Amino acid sequence: MSKKLKTTQQSRRGFLKGVGAAAAAVGASATPVQAVAAITEPKKRYGMLIDTRRCVGCHACSVSCRSENNVPEGKHRSWVEYTEKGTFPNATLHFLPRLCNQCSDPQCVSVCPTNATHIRDDGIITVDADVCIGCKYCIHACPYDARFLNPETGAVDKCDFCLDRLEQGKEPACVATCFNRARIFGDLNDPDSTISRMVASNAVSVLRPGMGTLPNVFYIGLDYADEHDIRFPRQYIRVTTHRDENIRR
Amino acid sequence: MHELTWGMPVIAYLFMAGLGAGALTTSASVLLRGGQSGKYFSIARYGAFIAPIPVALGSALLVFELGSFQAGHWFRFLNLYTVINLSPMSIGTWLLTIFLGISVLYAFTFLSKDACPGDKQDGLRRLAAWVGIPLGIGVAIYTGVLLGAMPARPFWNSPVLAMLFFLSALSTGVASIILVRALLHRKHASAQAEAHYHESGYILSATDTLLIGLELLAIFLFLMYAHLTIGSVREAATVILAGGELSVLFWFWVVVLGLLVPGIIELAILVPSIVYHRAYRSHRVIEILVPVVVLVGGFMLRYVVVIAGQITHPIGL
Ligand code: SF4
Ligand code: SF4
Repeated sequence: MSKKLKTTQQSRRGFLKGVGAAAAAVGASATPVQAVAAITEPKKRYGMLIDTRRCVGCHACSVSCRSENNVPEGKHRSWVEYTEKGTFPNATLHFLPRLCNQCSDPQCVSVCPTNATHIRDDGIITVDADVCIGCKYCIHACPYDARFLNPETGAVDKCDFCLDRLEQGKEPACVATCFNRARIFGDLNDPDSTISRMVASNAVSVLRPGMGTLPNVFYIGLDYADEHDIRFPRQYIRVTTHRDENIRR
Repeated sequence: MHELTWGMPVIAYLFMAGLGAGALTTSASVLLRGGQSGKYFSIARYGAFIAPIPVALGSALLVFELGSFQAGHWFRFLNLYTVINLSPMSIGTWLLTIFLGISVLYAFTFLSKDACPGDKQDGLRRLAAWVGIPLGIGVAIYTGVLLGAMPARPFWNSPVLAMLFFLSALSTGVASIILVRALLHRKHASAQAEAHYHESGYILSATDTLLIGLELLAIFLFLMYAHLTIGSVREAATVILAGGELSVLFWFWVVVLGLLVPGIIELAILVPSIVYHRAYRSHRVIEILVPVVVLVGGFMLRYVVVIAGQITHPIGL
């Protein structure tokens, strides 16, 4: 983490030098202090916060994602898992929207032999479909099952926060479509963004923190129960992950 | 249960690349060990001819399995050669490519009908052997590192795995030499040549037995560490333990048939030579059967490991 911080600072310093020269050339219209403040604005780090308390499992996000990104049948960029836990009256039905976590230390990137999977300056991890050879190494390396092979392109595909929409200044499709506002999208490096304020003022967690991937998708109200708990019957647990069911078919 | 993203082609590739790398490493080692006398020249020759074939076939299989190839982008795999990065697959690709070149060159030096120690090609042959040994070891180890690099696949995520694959690669390489040698064997005219044939048989069998012993040790360590830890790795290891989905495949095909049976047979034949210093005699039937089960076991090891890694997952959300 500290290594990463250092490299950002270094590159920013390099950038500063160039822009400083440009500013000097333009003239003294802005004071140096203002110019520095504008330039040192940190790089973006896009992230998402999912408030599972607001999610009702309607799958509007899954559907809008499919149509936005042309996801082939049986594959998912974004999906919702169901967890049933306990017996009446002490029971809960809990929804877990899933997507690529756009990790800060992503193993999918470190195993890619062609650099097709790479990390952008704004923190989004994307796959260059023209470079990817479809070796599927990254599918194994991702601890979140976020990747799949797109049979049409022969390349690996996954959620990229709807890059096309971001470039037009729009939110990702799943965020725009969530009627209950369970998804909040924004820049985690901007302390005044809604997402940063919500992450700071709530108890949040990430998926499988032990993997060391440093996810940038945060959850409020995450429940521990997963498929493995079914084998230790402390209580009734049933987990439905639509992704697995689709795969099993 | 999950879809198997790496199926038969990858399994076959891991086995074949290991076999070829093991054959070259063995061949080059005995060649250099024989010195100018060229004592084990015939073994080296068999190994040299075997090595490139499985590696080339395995690599071709791998290309056919790529998503890009199957989607009709037939030459996109060449993107592998546009970068070198720290991905085990990138390093492995380069190693494998250089290995293929060197092993073909090495085989070429043996091609002439009257190739013998000290002939015209001798310098080139020994140079290729010196380069070939580290390359062979590299290819054999990388097949395990490739799988072992990922915490997201707890069954594979063990440093012992690369060692196990390495030992298995050497052992299948030696086995392939024993097998081909026994299949092509014709009675020698002179008693001296016949005695020499048995002596090289002794070296090969003794090496194979040692490797089998080390493999058993590596499997023991693999299971021991998996069992001593808690969490994902232990959970994952249960697939090959009693009651697990792959336990029969693992214990019968890999451990009993692939290691214990050939190990015990070879040991039984070797003991009189080791303990009582009797002259070792090669038995043709045994020299065909033993390597066959070793090869089957080596293949099943890759099969079980590759499948087990994909049907097990880290625990916790
Ligand atoms: S969730 Fe998986 S695919 Fe997404 S960045 Fe992290 S490791 Fe890569
Ligand atoms: S499948 Fe594509 S993106 Fe994934 S590791 Fe291989 S080349 Fe990289």
